[in-house]
Amino acid sequence: MIAYIAAGLLGLLALSIPVGIVLFLLGFGVDQFFSSFPLIRGLGNMVWSSSNSSTLIAIPFFVLLGEILVRSGVAARTYAALDKWVSWMPGGLVHANVATATMFSATSGSSVATAATVATVAMPQAEKLGYDPKLFSGAIAAGGTLGIMIPPSINLIVYGFLTQSSIPQLFLAGLIPGLGLAFAFLVVTAAICVVRPELGGERRVFPLSEMMGALAHLIPIILLFTVIIGSIYKGWATPTEAASVGVAGALVIAAVFGGVSVAMMGEAILGTVKVTCMIMLIVIGASFLNFTLASAGLGRELEAFLGGLGLTPLSTILVIVLMYIVLGFFIETLSLMVVTIPIVVPLVVELGYDPIWFGILMIVLIEMALITPPVGLNLYVVQGARKSGHLNEVMVGAIPYVLVMLAMAIALIAFPSIALFLPEALS
Amino acid sequence: MADQFIDRLRTLNRYVAYAVGVLLLACAAFVLADIVLRQLGSSFGGTDEISGYVMAIATSWGMAYALLELGHVRIDLIRSKVAAKGRAMFDLLSMTVMSATIVLIAVKCWPVVARSIKNSSTANTPLETPLVWVQAPWFAGWVWFALMSCLLTLAALVLVVQGKLAESERRIGAFGEQDLL
Amino acid sequence: ETLSVVGSWSGLPLHKEYEAPFWSETLPAASGGKIEVELTTHNQMNLGLGDIYPLLGQGVYDVAMTVGDYAVSDAPELEGLDVPMIATDAATARKAVEAARPMVDEIFAERFNSKVLAIAPYPPQVVFCNAEIASLDDLAGKKVRASGRMTAKFLEALGAEGVNVSFSEVPGALQKGVVDCAVTGAGSGYSAGWWEVSTHLLPIPLGGWDPVVTAMNMDKWNGLDADTQALIQSELATKFEAPAWDTAQGALANDIGCLTGQGDCTSGDKRSMTLVEASDADIAKATEILTSEVLPDWAERAGGDWKDRWNASVGAAVGVTIE
Ligand code: NA
Ligand code: NA
Repeated sequence: MIAYIAAGLLGLLALSIPVGIVLFLLGFGVDQFFSSFPLIRGLGNMVWSSSNSSTLIAIPFFVLLGEILVRSGVAARTYAALDKWVSWMPGGLVHANVATATMFSATSGSSVATAATVATVAMPQAEKLGYDPKLFSGAIAAGGTLGIMIPPSINLIVYGFLTQSSIPQLFLAGLIPGLGLAFAFLVVTAAICVVRPELGGERRVFPLSEMMGALAHLIPIILLFTVIIGSIYKGWATPTEAASVGVAGALVIAAVFGGVSVAMMGEAILGTVKVTCMIMLIVIGASFLNFTLASAGLGRELEAFLGGLGLTPLSTILVIVLMYIVLGFFIETLSLMVVTIPIVVPLVVELGYDPIWFGILMIVLIEMALITPPVGLNLYVVQGARKSGHLNEVMVGAIPYVLVMLAMAIALIAFPSIALFLPEALS
Repeated sequence: MADQFIDRLRTLNRYVAYAVGVLLLACAAFVLADIVLRQLGSSFGGTDEISGYVMAIATSWGMAYALLELGHVRIDLIRSKVAAKGRAMFDLLSMTVMSATIVLIAVKCWPVVARSIKNSSTANTPLETPLVWVQAPWFAGWVWFALMSCLLTLAALVLVVQGKLAESERRIGAFGEQDLL
Repeated sequence: ETLSVVGSWSGLPLHKEYEAPFWSETLPAASGGKIEVELTTHNQMNLGLGDIYPLLGQGVYDVAMTVGDYAVSDAPELEGLDVPMIATDAATARKAVEAARPMVDEIFAERFNSKVLAIAPYPPQVVFCNAEIASLDDLAGKKVRASGRMTAKFLEALGAEGVNVSFSEVPGALQKGVVDCAVTGAGSGYSAGWWEVSTHLLPIPLGGWDPVVTAMNMDKWNGLDADTQALIQSELATKFEAPAWDTAQGALANDIGCLTGQGDCTSGDKRSMTLVEASDADIAKATEILTSEVLPDWAERAGGDWKDRWNASVGAAVGVTIE
């Protein structure tokens, strides 16, 4: 069955059938060939129950938040301000991409939304200043993935929801690995550009007065982060509700620091509906596929497989990590989580691992999946914002950052306290 | 002819998308009002239940807009390597399979609504929302998506038969207009 | 014969200790290999809670078990199976469920095209408070997290405010005062660490007993020969239903012991929550609210002759009458 899914997925994707539809088709196939039950009768119920979700409504809200920041000019000014602070390093503006992505990750729960936001403001600069398109766009795609690691995070909300673990605890746990990744991205970028200076652009040092002046442009984003995260930890809003706090905050900030108009809100709305429905078709398709797979006994097959290997807990974790890396090439990330969590997490907990820690480890692997071809949403988002060039360039540019994420995954396994330190210290 | 028809569908669905967006904004405002009310020691109650319904309805009605704006992700590794005629075949195949799938989904969504009608089902919450009130608009959204998808496929087929491959690619290709510029 | 079985919440003791061994070992062994079982759970399938029995009726799987209360969207009359506060011990709860059994059989046959095979209890849904309480009355004016329509209505009638918080967020919500009290099984509250963030335990079934109904698709059931039918029913009654009920009272006592330090605790360290004993006045108050507001309200929702049937069965068993 696993082989069938892998082959079917590749074949159908190669035909360039929309990813969400491919998931439905695979579900129909599982129903047809691996189950003696009329699973298709559950199709309507799965479509209803997977979209009737107060958790997932955070997706359109976070996308809308990003759209408002971009269209009011707040995002562009944040980018310009960070540029003044980080472009002295080898690699120049590439660092601003990472820094801006980190900043927006702290206000957005979605990696796709974060990448889209940064790509929209950064791409015009790259072409103007003559950067190597590979590294430049790869940094945006990779930086954008931080959106789901640095709180708030839709994926951590979904993880908490499915595993019954505390979402604020997960958010705390994601903070250090998220910032660690951001820092590692900067270091790797600098290292690459020391070895191959032609990949980065010109290093620019700005006078201190200009740097200090630029700080004012970071205030909106810091305010927004404080409002969103503050409302969660003060107990005013649930992690999902915080997304609507974010939308309101973004509107106020846009009105104060940029400008809000009906035309601009119209554009923001259209962008939000398009991205949300793109994600939701995939999420709904994944729910249906998951339903057919569980009915047809994938859980038993996986358990038997992992059990049959007779591994130590550590080796089991390594096998699971490997599985996520491989599946991550082909499966959209939210679906990957929804499909695997009910099977994998109970197993991991039984081995004595902390579900909060595993959630963070999984997010690193999910981040990796977002920028590995052939199915890597962030690659497509960044490519979508470019005016020329081929998708391959973004893929190649993302490779160094994939390796950084791999290193982070290994570090998390070796030192679980990278994730667990904050939640344990603060509770 | 066919391209004008597709442009009409696009305009129509842009208005639908505006409506969906306004619905989402209203929902955000409602949730926010409840958060504020709770600080004052009161609450509407049931905001999470209502957000769920809004999400289901917004999703089903926005799907056709995303389709017409080429928003649904496709992998074009092989497709992008072949000539215009080949690409048109890929696109037509993709649209046909998609339409058939969406029609099937819409058909299979009906029993959910039918069950709620038959049982006069109400949500298992203090609001006791009659489920048909929210499931009927949700179902209508999927029917709309199915209809739009089929019309788009037919119109694109006409374009391809007429040999207007560039026109067809612009409407059912792998990337949106702004991305191709 | 291969049965496709969908179990209840995979993380809870009822599934781990009773359902899983019964379906994957006991029944196949008792049938001498004639019956094979493919077991999963509804949370592993990511099913909507309200969809579990309707899909069973459509033959998407053969056997399903979950909390009857999840299906009340489609069958309001089923709410009468699990009324808060009417049964304060397992023996009474069992009597109430047995009295309701013919009604449940009928509801499942008519609404869900299914044959009821067994009804087993989850632990009673008791009250954890991070606030000084001495009686049921003290819940008035408090913010309480609970699930299920009838419990919510009961709290409303009591003057408490229902707040929706997901299970995993309850500790944080109790700590920050987002809610004052929360309702769940005593064992779940113990293992989820609710004792860290709450001070008072009111071990009364404010959320009822959440009876878990095991049912089989009716067409599948009718297709089985009489011997197999008899085998499944007797095995379930003696090796699943009976032990689950028999240990329910002891499990509750153990969990209370663990949470309050008063009594034995075999599940881990004893904690020191304040035990608030339910008084006769509390029970009287609860009965009064039930008979004057909550149950008449339900009788209207359910319609038909459900009120009379409930009075004659469950009501008679526990000594409560809807006027
Ligand atoms: Na984030
Ligand atoms: Na990938």
